[in-house]
Amino acid sequence: MSIFEYNGSALIAMVGKNCFAIASDRRFGVQLQTVATDFQKIYRIHDRVFLGLSGLATDAQTLYQRLVFRHKLYQLREERDMKPETFASLVSALLYEKRFGPYFCQPVIAGLGDEDKPFICTMDSIGAKELAKDFVVAGTASESLYGACEAMFKPDMEPEELFEIISQALLSSVDRDCLSGWGGHVYVVTPTEVKERILKGRMD
Amino acid sequence: MTKQQANWSPYDNNGGSCVAIAGADYCVIAADTRMSTGYNILTRDYSKICKLADKCVMASSGFQADVRALQKHLAARHLIYQHQHNKQMSCPAMAQLLSNTLYYKRFFPYYSFNVLGGLDNEGKGCVFTYDAVGSYEKVGYSSQGSGSTLIMPFLDNQLKSPSPLLLPALDAVTPLSEPEAVDLVKTVFASATERDIYTHTVHPFNTALSNFSLDVLQGDKLEIVILNASGIRREYMDLRKD
Repeated sequence: MSIFEYNGSALIAMVGKNCFAIASDRRFGVQLQTVATDFQKIYRIHDRVFLGLSGLATDAQTLYQRLVFRHKLYQLREERDMKPETFASLVSALLYEKRFGPYFCQPVIAGLGDEDKPFICTMDSIGAKELAKDFVVAGTASESLYGACEAMFKPDMEPEELFEIISQALLSSVDRDCLSGWGGHVYVVTPTEVKERILKGRMD
Repeated sequence: MTKQQANWSPYDNNGGSCVAIAGADYCVIAADTRMSTGYNILTRDYSKICKLADKCVMASSGFQADVRALQKHLAARHLIYQHQHNKQMSCPAMAQLLSNTLYYKRFFPYYSFNVLGGLDNEGKGCVFTYDAVGSYEKVGYSSQGSGSTLIMPFLDNQLKSPSPLLLPALDAVTPLSEPEAVDLVKTVFASATERDIYTHTVHPFNTALSNFSLDVLQGDKLEIVILNASGIRREYMDLRKD
């Protein structure tokens, strides 16, 4: 049984018109046992950069703590927030440091870059970046997520429509995966506001 | 002394995906036409769909040699049935036969992932989905094969089947019209093709403008079979060749 399937997760990030959305499921389990149904997998680095971490929960939490530390140092030195592209490179570097004893996580990074251009990317557990223009997915439900997102996505969606599409894609995909589910957590980020919503889906 | 392991497997996976959707008075069965082994393409023009009876069509992905053997076996059994009963087998009857045939080889299975589609005795669409050893279920829609994990959640979202646990049992057949169901199948394969390397069909483009129209005719395709009261119809759609 794969170490990546120990806890279970589902993550999506999608690009819209001058906005992005990032969503996750809420289950925290230990193999077949569900332990928590309100587990946070998406973290706010700052108002314009969000990080989702799938895979082994302990590594996700440790990685998040290290990244927050590095970002705070960056803020002190540079007196500004990190751009999403820069943050992605930081995550990639941190992961590759552990090339021969990796963190068992697959991160999803989403943010608004210069001129409010949305940026999304994902990586494997040793930091290989995958930039995409439309959507990125991660987690045990990733195959289902690829299918659902590919079928439902269209470019340049407004925030409201983007929220609908990402939510439908997430909920249909986690319903086909035993290790993810128990609701959803969706952040829709525009240059002016961050909207956080909780989805109610099948609670199993 | 550890047990000696075989360094040869009797099985291979030839890839591909298949889908079936049941409607009120029709059934749509579709499969891609690529046959592959590992990362190599054996042919772009292989049909995974087989007509077992007048109102019963099977699509199978997995190991095509086993699929062929299974199709041959079922055709023979159907012929015997026709001699003995003087009529064609109905889709539910064929469904049971397929299940029994698969389980017969429980300890050396047919590596075949099947969906059976057709019309029942009342003319209503029915779809049966199987695993490799014959466990089956009547459903409103199903997909099998390498792209099935990508396709199923989207079909769930669009076709919203009622829970099989409800009593009285609700009909799983979709209220969509036949052209809508065919369109849905095309959409679903176009998406699966983008993300699954083993499922392939070519995107349609205007052959009159193309200098390579001959290649298009020979390319990977999506084969769609539609069964309804007027009979069986076959359609092809080109998908990505890469």
